[in-house]
Amino acid sequence: MQYITRESAFHRLHPFTKLIFVIVVVLLAVLTSDIVMLAVLVGAVVAAAVAGGLARDLLRQVPLLASLAVSLLALTVLTIHNGEILGYLVPQSVPVIGGAFPVTVGAIDLAAAMSLRFAAMLFAFQLFVISTQPRDLVHLLDRLRMPIDYTLMLLIALRFIPSLQLEGKRIHEAQLARAYNPGRGISGKVRGLFPIIIPLVSNSLGKATVLGLTIDLRGYRSGLRTPMRDLAPGRVDVAGICCMGVVAAGYLAVLLV
Amino acid sequence: MSPETGREIALSLRAVSYTYPGSEAPALNGIDLEVRRGEIVFVTGPTGAGKTTLCLAASGILHHEYGGALEGAVAILGKKVRDYRNMGEIGRDIGVVFDDADAQLIFSTVEEEVASGLENLGIPRAEMQQRLRDVMEAIGITDFADRAPHTLSGGQKQRVAIAATLVLGTEILVLDEPTAELDAEATGAVSTLLRRLAEKGTAVLIVEQKLNELATIADRMVLIEGGTIAKVGSPAEMMQDSVLRHPAPGNIRPPAPAAASPCGVPPIVSVRDLVHRYDGVTAIGGLDLEVAPGEIVAVVGENGSGKTTLVKHFNGLLRPTRGSVIVDGLDAGSVPVAELARHVGLVFQNPDTMLFAETVEEEVAFGLKNIDPRSTGEPIDAALSEVGLLHRKAAYPRSLSRGERQRLAIACVIAMRPRLIVLDEPTTGLDAREAARVMETLGHLRQDGHTIVMVTHDMLLGEEYADRIVRMEQGRIVGDRRTYEEGLCPKLCSISPGRAPFTASTRSPN
Repeated sequence: MQYITRESAFHRLHPFTKLIFVIVVVLLAVLTSDIVMLAVLVGAVVAAAVAGGLARDLLRQVPLLASLAVSLLALTVLTIHNGEILGYLVPQSVPVIGGAFPVTVGAIDLAAAMSLRFAAMLFAFQLFVISTQPRDLVHLLDRLRMPIDYTLMLLIALRFIPSLQLEGKRIHEAQLARAYNPGRGISGKVRGLFPIIIPLVSNSLGKATVLGLTIDLRGYRSGLRTPMRDLAPGRVDVAGICCMGVVAAGYLAVLLV
Repeated sequence: MSPETGREIALSLRAVSYTYPGSEAPALNGIDLEVRRGEIVFVTGPTGAGKTTLCLAASGILHHEYGGALEGAVAILGKKVRDYRNMGEIGRDIGVVFDDADAQLIFSTVEEEVASGLENLGIPRAEMQQRLRDVMEAIGITDFADRAPHTLSGGQKQRVAIAATLVLGTEILVLDEPTAELDAEATGAVSTLLRRLAEKGTAVLIVEQKLNELATIADRMVLIEGGTIAKVGSPAEMMQDSVLRHPAPGNIRPPAPAAASPCGVPPIVSVRDLVHRYDGVTAIGGLDLEVAPGEIVAVVGENGSGKTTLVKHFNGLLRPTRGSVIVDGLDAGSVPVAELARHVGLVFQNPDTMLFAETVEEEVAFGLKNIDPRSTGEPIDAALSEVGLLHRKAAYPRSLSRGERQRLAIACVIAMRPRLIVLDEPTTGLDAREAARVMETLGHLRQDGHTIVMVTHDMLLGEEYADRIVRMEQGRIVGDRRTYEEGLCPKLCSISPGRAPFTASTRSPN
């Protein structure tokens, strides 16, 4: 998840408008557990991404969301037993343990609600990150009086995600060139991680030191920030906020009725 | 003011000694050095001599950020480093370029990266924009201003890191191997810019191995060995020192091989109409190449010309978008990487991307066991002997010096006995002695029947050690020539095209 250079409607929005968008989506997502309403919210965020030409970039998160949904479903089926029983993980015909782990409507509802909620938040945050240059983010948080340490922490975290991916890929390639085989079974997979993890951690620690020094030497604690370009809100921001207002008002109206 | 020159001392180190935490031997020992305004001081020395530590000391980083035992005094523009509140304050006076370009790139586009420090100086926007334009043009990075730094080649990244520091306009610059990955043209641009800055009064302390390209712009040269200053003098005087001179051409060069065609030996590498595209960028645009068995081929070209992309096709790490790559009779476009690893060994530019084992011996055994689980220790000893590391068999790989780690990476590959060995920038970051040692190893390997392809931005290296220089530009081959007189070479023609005869074990151990 990192900034993508592109001319999209989202890119043209002021960072503050995009931050409001994220906050609105998060608030609407936590206000209800209704699956239909949450699905509508996810649909609205995806529609915004389609309108902004960034839908394909959101799709990259689908495998992560799918695995999260499966994990949540497994967890709720094992722990939530309220509501109508739809079936059993262990069929009732099996002797002794038959009928164990009932799959209930309550468990499925909760898993679906949590998954949709997470999807809405993740998509909204991703749209914000991939369409906002990190320096604009720094300026925005600076103007919102966020302590510089927190801003820099966020900056480094965003910077380290692609950096770790790249370093991991490089190390993986280097080991593949030595006929690296991750191994079979769980123990094989765990053992197979060492040739990747050890260099990745060692190299990343070294890079983190240099990165921290670079940030300090570039004067990020000076408090003398002058943005290279003006970041004044424009008509597109007014239109964006109006759209958000209409969608949020409609959403809340349906919730309250 | 210095009585010698009348110029004010910008940076001074007095009796500076430093020992890293957990270490017993000092990395710096009694360093006395000063850099005046408008002066370029060029520091060089063998790998592990303490050059990077000297940069850290001079820029106040040891004092403010590192533990360990630090003695002596460092002053920046007459102010003691301990009187600075933090690194941010020091950054107003000193610009530092570290040797790891990757780690200095924080932002999402090149322009944003270079502008990032400027935005924290509190200067008018018009001046910021002018400075940004000037530096980006001078360093030659305007063409990729909108690209993400992490998508650039190593040399391009280094140029961005230099630009992001120079744009700050500090009165002192401390540069740790800033041009290690740069081609001759980019190195020339950096040296011209540094000279211009020095003429305007900037004090420059530069650590580098590139004597020929950069020492000429220096006012003084300093040789550092074992953490102490061994010699100081003018570049002209210092370049007479045999320790500093690049090994003379031909000293260790093995006899030239014959071309494939006169002997009728089929090529070990055959690339036909290769095209490779990624993220909308054409990295290789229709390329043909043949490499004869036993050749040492240098693939040279400017940063970002597609050299590394080309050789990654040889062992299947990249697959062709179009065209074919045949290596040792195998289609490298479809054969699994693990299978290709038996035929092609790739030594990466940075050995730290692969080192993970507890001992040198285990590190070498890793690749060998992957292709032959029943293998014995004999090929490990032979490979370590070949690179002169047999005596470090039990050492922790990451505790070795940079040059030793590079040789260990080569040992890891040659133990697997591939017929073709590909090296990506094999001498980057190495001093002349270590670089010569690596090249000597390659010479031995060729004599043993291996074919060597090395990617390098260093034309001199290609001229001195390769049989053939293939020059790339913008993903195409624009030059292909031999470095010796064409002629028959019976020795190479007699080499079997079968498994490479690895004979290092017959040589005397280190």
